[in-house]
Amino acid sequence: MTNMRMTEQDLQDRETKIASRGVDVFYGATHAIKDVDIDILNNTVTAFIGPSGCGKSTFLRCLNRMNDTIDSCRVTGQILLDGDDIYHSSVDPVTLRARVGMVFQKPNPFPKSIFDNIAYGPRIHGLVNNKAELDEVVEKSLRRAAIWNEVKDRLDQPGTGLSGGQQQRLCIARAIATAPEVLLMDEPCSALDPIATAQIEELIDELRQDFAVVIVTHSMQQAARVSQKTAFFHLGVIAEHGDTNQIFTNPVDKRTQDYITGRFG
Amino acid sequence: MGPHIVSSFDDDLIAVQARISEMGGIAEEMLSGALEAVKNRDAQMAQEVIARDKRLDAIEMEVENLATRVIALRQPMAGDLRLLISALKMASTLERVGDLSKNIARRAVYLANARPVRLSSSIVRMGNQTLGQLTEVLDAFTSRDTALAVSVWKRDVEVDEMYNSIFREVVTYMMEDPRTIGLGSQLLFVAKNLERIGDHSTHLAETIYYIVEGTPLGDDRPKGEPLGLEGY
Repeated sequence: MTNMRMTEQDLQDRETKIASRGVDVFYGATHAIKDVDIDILNNTVTAFIGPSGCGKSTFLRCLNRMNDTIDSCRVTGQILLDGDDIYHSSVDPVTLRARVGMVFQKPNPFPKSIFDNIAYGPRIHGLVNNKAELDEVVEKSLRRAAIWNEVKDRLDQPGTGLSGGQQQRLCIARAIATAPEVLLMDEPCSALDPIATAQIEELIDELRQDFAVVIVTHSMQQAARVSQKTAFFHLGVIAEHGDTNQIFTNPVDKRTQDYITGRFG
Repeated sequence: MGPHIVSSFDDDLIAVQARISEMGGIAEEMLSGALEAVKNRDAQMAQEVIARDKRLDAIEMEVENLATRVIALRQPMAGDLRLLISALKMASTLERVGDLSKNIARRAVYLANARPVRLSSSIVRMGNQTLGQLTEVLDAFTSRDTALAVSVWKRDVEVDEMYNSIFREVVTYMMEDPRTIGLGSQLLFVAKNLERIGDHSTHLAETIYYIVEGTPLGDDRPKGEPLGLEGY
């Protein structure tokens, strides 16, 4: 590893941001996630990989209670954010989602101006006191999402008018505008071309300085490039979890080997 | 390991391994031929060995091209990645074994035309040991036998010790009778080349271990006196 990348030594000092303990998820009678224990470390990119239907997105969506919106979905076990159970009755899911932001597979800007896309979160969560502060948050978020230079002269134009890669960076800017502590990304580059993908990956590496990042990806190369920790999901369980370097060069579990090398399981 | 979902990926990996095995076979034959040429003072055999080296170089290029293409097109992971990276190293190592065998063959031509020496027997013994280790390490690659690879790795010290003893022996002859200096120098180079081939077998053993286990073999290998100079 070069000095640009975190070494395994560094990882040992990271605190646990999210701890999952014995988490099960059911969709009606379907048992989608089975007894998942995992620690998501702060200032670390954790990649979830695995075949379609293995539960990685379902589990990701548990981390900010996005599954609450699905009636048939039931989550048991504990998910602790800084030690507090996020499924406790006193937790407001909207506030939780400001702390644990999310970026989706398909860019989904609001049908509003570029400015309002970013300003929406800080406004509803009361994070700013006046227009000047709001302007500052918008600019800062757009800069951090590496899209400021491309949109600064047309902040009043609709976000939906941007290219796919720009829209995705706009959504990342929107997600980080509420100053979250964790950023969840569900296949953020699957609809993007290689250049936009590279920009997002560069961004993920920078975001890691401030947040815990969890990324679900079908691109093994992407998982290997951007993450320091990798969890391999298989049929609703974590088959293997460890340092990315080890998972991709010398996986222990046969299911992981078969999957990452493209073999029949 | 089961087959890949993309079957042409399997074909590529099989092709790479087949080339490595072919290179191993040629390197083995070259070494064995060079040793025969030294032992039997057979200049004709030596010329045949020298001629074979071109083929070895050509296959090394093929392995490089093939492995590079597979890495670029398939982005191999885990065991597949280890195999391809290791194949590149093994091809280059086997090419070096071929070069050293060719060099022994060249010296065999000289020795065939010179006055016979009785010393040849210890060189032949060292040659057989070196050849045996090369054969075993190539078997270890074919059968993915790490125990065999580790055993070759550990026994390199024996070749080193033989080298040291030949070194002392030859230097003694040369001191006793300066007319043997030309011949003795050639023999020293033969022994040195064998010692180098032994080192390459050790390196092959380490590579095979990495392919199978995914971790390096470490470096606490038994080692002999590096220069064979004690007493001089």
